[in-house]
Amino acid sequence: MNDCPNAEIRDQLPDLLHDRLDVSMRAAVMAHIDECVDCRSELELLRGVHGMLTAQTPRVDINYVVNALPKRAPHALRVVPRRRVWSDWRIAAAVAVLAIGSGSFAVLRQSQTTPSVTVPPLASHSNPAPVDSTNGVTTPSADTVVRVADNAGGSETSPDAAKSADEQTGAAGLATTARLADLNERQLQALLDQIDQLQAVPITEPEPVTIRVGSQSSSPEGA
Amino acid sequence: MTNPARSGAGDDQRDSDLIARWKAGDERAATELVERHSAALARFAVSSGERNDIDELVQDTFVRAFNSLDGFRGDSSFRTWLFTIERRLLLDRRRSEKRRRDRTEIQESDSATEYDALDSVVADETQRRLHDAVAQLSPTQREVFALRVAEGLSYKEIAEAVGTTEGAARVHYHNAMRAVKEFLDE
Repeated sequence: MNDCPNAEIRDQLPDLLHDRLDVSMRAAVMAHIDECVDCRSELELLRGVHGMLTAQTPRVDINYVVNALPKRAPHALRVVPRRRVWSDWRIAAAVAVLAIGSGSFAVLRQSQTTPSVTVPPLASHSNPAPVDSTNGVTTPSADTVVRVADNAGGSETSPDAAKSADEQTGAAGLATTARLADLNERQLQALLDQIDQLQAVPITEPEPVTIRVGSQSSSPEGA
Repeated sequence: MTNPARSGAGDDQRDSDLIARWKAGDERAATELVERHSAALARFAVSSGERNDIDELVQDTFVRAFNSLDGFRGDSSFRTWLFTIERRLLLDRRRSEKRRRDRTEIQESDSATEYDALDSVVADETQRRLHDAVAQLSPTQREVFALRVAEGLSYKEIAEAVGTTEGAARVHYHNAMRAVKEFLDE
């Protein structure tokens, strides 16, 4: 049994056997078969193999198969959870970035507003702060300087002395500074109490705190 | 060129309709699907060398298919998908049989192949010769040859069912045809 050299036609023979060719191709294959002994032989061989395999195949018991099948559609019985898609994670990441950014901004804003600390005016005239002779303001030579309110209570100085100090520092509220070492124990305790009452601890280095002295203790005359 | 109307497109549409009806709760659709494809599955099993428990194999194929119908995307025809499932079951069955043989230490000469068991069934001399010609093919050649000749699948469908390429399926078919001819010419 020889092979026909027309491989394209030979490839169509099983399709011809199963009637899967369109009209034009079927006509072309049939015309070729009429003239080609090899293709006729091969087609007969295909029919024989098909018949042999069909004859050997036992009949399947349809009811036996059907009875084992699931009775309901699987998708009707179970709820398929929605699959997470990539966009969900991107949205979640964007929300997280926004939340972290806004939180950081709020903390930064809060840390930039340094609370002003008010302590009672200096009671002692001893150890005055060094005074700049040019403008009458004490030099902030200490690492930490405390701002003292003008009208804080507990002043031991006389009203005249305070007025004199105000005149020295200027009507615009020019602060007079003093060293922490100049504060007496009561003033230091008041300062610590106020620090304890702060609601947030600054994340940056503490800034110098100006002591606005409402008494004569830090004025040039007082010194 | 194959005729789309006769090459399974109409059958595919019918299968899709039946699957949709079964998903909607129509159990008669399942019966019709079994009726449409059980003979082809049994034929493929026999042509692949399987002889015993064909009903069970076909049943297992349908059960597995219906349990995973949600995973059937319709990229291939329903029948091709069934062939794929059945082929996996056949491979599993052969592996387990091989393990069983290894455990019982049956010698190679005593282990008759499935095709040997068919000898008593094939009565006609011509059919016996054809049967022997197909039996001497390699398993892959036999599968491709059976799907092409007995089921009329295209090379593309065969490639999907057997897990190979379209070109490889074509080569397997022509090699098988040449081997069958040579066997019959001897």
